[in-house]
Amino acid sequence: MIPVFLAQLTKECRNPLLLIIFIAASIGATIIFTDGTQSPTTVSIFSEEENARSIEEKWEPLLNEDSDMRFVITDSEEAREDVQQGRADLAIKLLEDDYRLVTTSNLPTVAYVDQHVRKVFEKEATIQSAIEQSEDAEGLRADIETKLEDPPMEMEVDSITGDELPNYDMGTQLMFAFTLLVAMFIIGFRINNILKDKVYGLWDRMILSPVSKTGMYTAYIAYAFFIGVVQTLSVILTFKYVLNYDIGDRLDLLIIIIAFFTFSMVSVATLLTGLVKKPEQFYAIYPSVIPIIPLISGAYMMPGTISNPVLTFIADLFPVSHAMDAILNVVMYDGTLHDITHSLLFMTLIGVVAMGIGVNLVERRKN
Amino acid sequence: MIETIKLRKDFKEKTVVEDVDLYLDKGESVGLLGPNGAGKSTTISMISSLLKPTSGDVKLNGESVVKHPSELRKVLGVVPQEIALYQELTAYENLKFFGRIYRVPKDKLETRIQTTLKLVGLKDRQKDRIKTFSGGMKRRINIASALLHHPKVLILDEPTVGIDPQSRNYILEMIRQLNEQSGTTILYTSHYMEEVEQLCDRVYIMDHGKVIASGSQSELLSILSNEDTMRVQLNQMSHSLVKAIQEIDVIRQVEETGDGIKIIAKKSTNLISNLVKLADQQNIKILNFQMENPSLEDVFLHLTGRTLRD
Repeated sequence: MIPVFLAQLTKECRNPLLLIIFIAASIGATIIFTDGTQSPTTVSIFSEEENARSIEEKWEPLLNEDSDMRFVITDSEEAREDVQQGRADLAIKLLEDDYRLVTTSNLPTVAYVDQHVRKVFEKEATIQSAIEQSEDAEGLRADIETKLEDPPMEMEVDSITGDELPNYDMGTQLMFAFTLLVAMFIIGFRINNILKDKVYGLWDRMILSPVSKTGMYTAYIAYAFFIGVVQTLSVILTFKYVLNYDIGDRLDLLIIIIAFFTFSMVSVATLLTGLVKKPEQFYAIYPSVIPIIPLISGAYMMPGTISNPVLTFIADLFPVSHAMDAILNVVMYDGTLHDITHSLLFMTLIGVVAMGIGVNLVERRKN
Repeated sequence: MIETIKLRKDFKEKTVVEDVDLYLDKGESVGLLGPNGAGKSTTISMISSLLKPTSGDVKLNGESVVKHPSELRKVLGVVPQEIALYQELTAYENLKFFGRIYRVPKDKLETRIQTTLKLVGLKDRQKDRIKTFSGGMKRRINIASALLHHPKVLILDEPTVGIDPQSRNYILEMIRQLNEQSGTTILYTSHYMEEVEQLCDRVYIMDHGKVIASGSQSELLSILSNEDTMRVQLNQMSHSLVKAIQEIDVIRQVEETGDGIKIIAKKSTNLISNLVKLADQQNIKILNFQMENPSLEDVFLHLTGRTLRD
């Protein structure tokens, strides 16, 4: 087993470019996308209704109230063209009591803006329904707004332990999501070495040697696990100690989660390896399937965004959703080992089942 | 030492190897000759215990290899048809890897690597990566990888495919030395009959999954002892002439060559006069006649009606 593991490692050392690119890609993607959600944005608003002017003048001050973004009334054609040409991520088309997002992308920025706009429209709808039957509409509106600013009653939300709820940080979530995504790629490509070595005849040569089949599989799996953990930890430690991201104080728990996730993902990659005949087929299928998994798992979105039962069921079959749950639990809610046990068990279950079926399929492909 | 008994392999509905019986005595060099798709690689995969036969058995000194493959694997070295090496690693690293998986003792490994590199003539290139090697050099390291544990039986599956004549001669000489000096038993498959002629004491000829002939070279050539092989050079090719020649009673095979025809025919006193007559009738000039000693290629042609490279 050890010579096979070392041969894989020597190969990696000879050609480390892929690993370096992958590490850089997860750091780069996180910086690019999280910066987008954090910086103030100028958003074009326009209306194409008959009374466009009055609609725009009504909503423009409301949207700009209590916002670090600037909502600017723009000509509708110009706003649409900016989005089409990629100069703006989105624009808002205003209706009388509703709005539409004009966008070509699914960036976190879009969700961020949408969240603010929706809040403004919901608040206005609430006030509107309250003053509709009042004789002194203007007075009631002023009264409501005053009360909203200085409410007679306040609801305080605490965590179970009585501590203040931590601020939810989308940037940190994205950092982990991108890191796990890239780790999934590198793990898959390394497991694919089994298929490559089969095609090139190295596998058969090893079978004829005193190395046992179990030893051979263990070597390839252990190597993919090792490289997956190294890659993930490198990225996380870079964010923590170089880029000063707040990932909490429980690095030990994060390492445990990463280890369980990597094992589980190695198993899923082995399963996919067993479904194809050639390494080229794996290279075609794997990169097409893998990016979808974090997407349907809601790894790039606020928790709870994905509520479709079919999607959540599919997401639960893959380790990334459980890993993200556990990571967010530890990083944002100070979860303990006990709190993440459920996620760890799920990842173990996925890992054992996928590994069993995967190795079986790889062996059947042989015959 | 090794024998196969009624070895058969079916893939779904297709029979790829059918009732193959062959044996290798200790220290012998045996050739397995046949065109592409004849079933040679499948046969040696079964002999080397990589592939389980549908029926039949492989025996090493009377013990079933199918039931107990580990005994054979201890004494076996296999050189696959493909270059089964890590391209990113150096020649030295590849040999070290194979030495370690074959559990060559640590204190002997370095010496074995250097001796083997010397044998294949690549000692001065040991620190270069395999991907920088020429095809012939890769083939040599491919063979070297199977020699580190000093196998008693060496199976080589077309080890000279796609390389230049110089490298091919080097490899053939190396294998001959292994057989003669170390007493290694060799099973050599090829579709190049000249390689098998040069290396092997005995030959099995396979076609369509069956052994169609076997024996020493002289025994196989004696199949053609009642026949003449002649090469006829013509001033122009004519299919109608070929067709007319084929209708002569004594003719067994007529094969078109670049500048004429090659004929295998029963020994006959009036064959040449018949040929001249037919050529005259079609206004074709015979430029040259040449009687040839039959080769294994001719034996194969005689047995199957096809050339080895068809």
